Amino acid sequence: MGLIYALNGLYFAAFLFLTSLGLSIILGVMGILNLAHGSLYAVGGFIAAFVIGLSAGSAAPLMILAAGGCAMLATAAVGFAMETTLLKPMYRRPLEYQLLMTFGILMLLEDGIKLIFGGESRYASAPFDAMGSVQIMGSTYPLYFLFVMLVAVAAGLFIWWLMVKTRLGIMLRAIEMDRDMAQAMGIPMRALTIVAFVLGASFAGLAGALVVPTTPAVLGMGMDVLIMAFIVVVIGGLGSLKGAFLGSLIVGLTRSFTVAYFAELEMPLLFLIAVIILIIKPEGLFGQK
Amino acid sequence: MKNFLFTPRAAVYAGIFIVLLLLPKMINAYHLSLVETGLSLAIMALGLNLLLRYTGVLSFGIGAYFAAGAYAVGMLNMYWPEYYTFETAILASILVSAAVSALFGFVCVRHTRIFFSILTLALSMLLFAVLEKAYHITGGSDGIRIPIPTFFGHEFEGMRRFQFLTGPYYYILLGIFSASTLIMLAIVNSPFGKALQATRDNELRAEMIGVRVRRFRWYAFVIAGTFSGLSGGVWCFVSGHITPEICNWVFSGEVVYMVLLGGFMIFEGPIVGAMLFTYLRLYAVAATEYWMLIIGATLVILVLLLPGGVTGGLYDLIERFKPKGRAKAGAEVKHA
Amino acid sequence: MGNKSDRRSFLKTAGAVAGGAAAASLLGAGGAAAAKKRGVPSGPIKVAAISFLSGPAAGPFGIPGDNSYKMMADIYNKQGGILGRKIKLISLDEAGGAKGQVELARKLILEDKVDVILGYISSGDCKAVLPLSDELGGLMLAYDCGTHVLMEGKKSPYKTPKYELGFRTAAHLGQDNIALALAIKKYMPNVKKIAGINQDYAWGRDSWHIFELAIKKLIPGVEVVKTLWPKIFTTDFTAHVSALQGSGAQIIHSSLWGGDAVTFMKQAKAAGLFKQAKMALSRGEPYPQEVGAAFPEGQFVCCAGAHYFLYPAWDKWPLNKWFVAEYKKRYNKYPTYPSYHAFQAITAYKVAVEKAASLVGGWPTIDEIAKAMGNLGFETPSGYLTINKDHNAREDCLVGITKMTKDYPFPILDPDRLEVFPSFQVNAPAGMRTEDWIKSWK
Repeated sequence: MGLIYALNGLYFAAFLFLTSLGLSIILGVMGILNLAHGSLYAVGGFIAAFVIGLSAGSAAPLMILAAGGCAMLATAAVGFAMETTLLKPMYRRPLEYQLLMTFGILMLLEDGIKLIFGGESRYASAPFDAMGSVQIMGSTYPLYFLFVMLVAVAAGLFIWWLMVKTRLGIMLRAIEMDRDMAQAMGIPMRALTIVAFVLGASFAGLAGALVVPTTPAVLGMGMDVLIMAFIVVVIGGLGSLKGAFLGSLIVGLTRSFTVAYFAELEMPLLFLIAVIILIIKPEGLFGQK
Repeated sequence: MKNFLFTPRAAVYAGIFIVLLLLPKMINAYHLSLVETGLSLAIMALGLNLLLRYTGVLSFGIGAYFAAGAYAVGMLNMYWPEYYTFETAILASILVSAAVSALFGFVCVRHTRIFFSILTLALSMLLFAVLEKAYHITGGSDGIRIPIPTFFGHEFEGMRRFQFLTGPYYYILLGIFSASTLIMLAIVNSPFGKALQATRDNELRAEMIGVRVRRFRWYAFVIAGTFSGLSGGVWCFVSGHITPEICNWVFSGEVVYMVLLGGFMIFEGPIVGAMLFTYLRLYAVAATEYWMLIIGATLVILVLLLPGGVTGGLYDLIERFKPKGRAKAGAEVKHA
Repeated sequence: MGNKSDRRSFLKTAGAVAGGAAAASLLGAGGAAAAKKRGVPSGPIKVAAISFLSGPAAGPFGIPGDNSYKMMADIYNKQGGILGRKIKLISLDEAGGAKGQVELARKLILEDKVDVILGYISSGDCKAVLPLSDELGGLMLAYDCGTHVLMEGKKSPYKTPKYELGFRTAAHLGQDNIALALAIKKYMPNVKKIAGINQDYAWGRDSWHIFELAIKKLIPGVEVVKTLWPKIFTTDFTAHVSALQGSGAQIIHSSLWGGDAVTFMKQAKAAGLFKQAKMALSRGEPYPQEVGAAFPEGQFVCCAGAHYFLYPAWDKWPLNKWFVAEYKKRYNKYPTYPSYHAFQAITAYKVAVEKAASLVGGWPTIDEIAKAMGNLGFETPSGYLTINKDHNAREDCLVGITKMTKDYPFPILDPDRLEVFPSFQVNAPAGMRTEDWIKSWK
């Protein structure tokens, strides 16, 4: 049983990591807390559910590829439109306008989803069902969850490679460290900001696409995810990818074992970890002061 | 304060106060109940603006203290009904919200800018989780009913709640609202208020001239939290029932919306915003199931085109018609 | 909005309505003749229907409920409305929590002067808004919320009715959980270990509380081996499923709803939970249809009343056949229990107005309608509904066991093992708290 609990924890960690990745990138590079992040996740979920519905009957990997690809493309497009029209004038404006702008976009996206997809829940579990289960040490475990863990690891590696090994990543990190200095050094701020935002948005879409085979797409599905992503970001350190990774692992694993042995504690647990870390290390595990 | 009595602002205040006093004769009970909601929320909006305008930090979790105040009243009635009167209820809401904001503020004031906003948001969601989780203590998501209290020994028996609300309670609320506004006005014009603004404009410089920045920010946080708690305390009677949603970050976001809608660069802006937003939201919900589209679009347009809010816009308009506009920190928008 | 589509679809559906007229006449269109003396106002009747139209509760409850309101308003209007007055349906979103709903209800009653409010899925909203009925003098019918204490007092016996102008037109969660316990006693009388997985808020807590009381009373030796409280809108139940497998429970009680119910059933099936345990779903009726063929067989499913598209059997009770066909035609889905609940609310209003009118001879006042409604019985697609002097509706309750057939692409409730418990067996009598009633069983 212990192994299964550990796997469950890892799956939840993978999910948390995927949802907080985009939020963390946007926060780090642009200094903007994107309150519409959860709604982008919901857009990804609805698009993926729609695509899976269309491609019913095809092979599971194909369905997931199509759904994930379309969701990422769609959220990237929404992100691009958002950034270039509504957020661009906000960079020179104080924080309260930036936050309220993303809050407004959240509401527009929530009702936009309802306008386009209607209010009914959308079920798209075909890939989950088709992948079936595997036997692990005498217990049955859904293969799809192992797949999501793989994707999360791949996404993490990709972002690590991008940020550490490529010129683009080095420039992004330069902006993250000191915006004014980066500008003075002639880094193309405008283009990079767009890239960072579109990247962050498409990761939200990917997370939404990956969750839809396990749980239906419903209106307002992003609101809760937004809060979870916040908590991970707070625990890991604001804007730190390493922190988001480790934060997800801590929360995921602790949750899984708590549910098994002290079920009553589950819900405030996430917050409890966050508060403890805030008290002993206010800047988060890997945050800069 | 003595000088204040002879300024034009004092005359305008007196005029508005008289209008508010006569309001029950001018509008029907239903609109009066909406005005009551607006007046209650205005107290919280003033508190939020002490942080935003005068301290330069944006709280995205002000609902936590509002909820602390409201739940103090609700739980007083649940557990010590023999002590449940209006006076004790308001006292409880002030004390509890001051305590909660002192605790939360202690963590939050170590940060500024976006980090401050995220922390306030996360902490309010922690309280939200506790209120909803502690079902046996707080009634969970079903919430708590708030009965009519006695007021300094006077009982309102036989009065229907709505009669009480739109009758005697309106004047009680108006009194508390007016007192809160004057107290807040005194705070922002006091040396403490000036020191806060110094920390906002230049943290380092303020530290150099002897302002203990974090300590002052913490005081401001507690004052703002207590105003919100009082706001929750007077509002819960208007609503009659409280649920944990008032602690959710979405509600806190709406309060920020109110403040910007009214215009946060002008002291009275948040009050106007609270009134307007109460009407805007209700009429949008009553008009269409796509009400979020209306509220969201209004917000986006407001942020893009009217950054000074309604009062800022009016101020600009007045300035334009004056032959020589005196430069005054009115509608121009602070740049970070 | 409602009006426009009424007119548009009038010609299209007129023929079909004529076909269903035999069944529809059961709804009781009488009374029009009696309403002459006092006169009937000429304008339309303003009916506010409030359900979740945004957020996660919209898909499973709000939309099916709202669909049904629109459909029935349309049909009643084609039959001539109520005493000749057309119904003007105003569909509104149950958004903004208790705070928003209290403000909205005040506006509807005091400013818009609606004739009746049919509403509320959330128990918190019901508890917050229903007191406004008496405070403001507006008629309110709570149509779907589950809380059992809405109409109950603090101690038994309590004074009835709690609200003069507030009603509930569907039975509460007490009957779901009592009926489940009764069905388990019948089919698995020797069950030893039970567990519960319910959402961590009032609905989940209350549902488990009543179920635990009832099952311990009915099967005294039973042991509770695990109670889990996942937070609402959990997307990943793997940890919970593993914990349930580890507990060795034979029966797992659950009041999960919406996406949570679907997610849990899927993930539990993939992990093999149903090889060792059976579910007892307190309001599980919609989910076999939503999950499809992947929904496991042999599970106990309660229908929040006797609301099922195949029960009462179509040959015995044509009204259900008519309702299902009409709903399927318009929305291409079978109706689920919120659709039936919406039918009950709008029809309760219609029947009560007609009954009051036949007594007073003209359009009745709000108090006369309330008086008629406080002692009302009428036919619904699910059988008979009564609204008693405590202003609480009582209905029979259906528990079934899922079974795959070749007629539907999802498991249905096995027609040979449908357990229907009469309303008096699953609902506390007026003036008695549900808890005290269960404790008093011998």
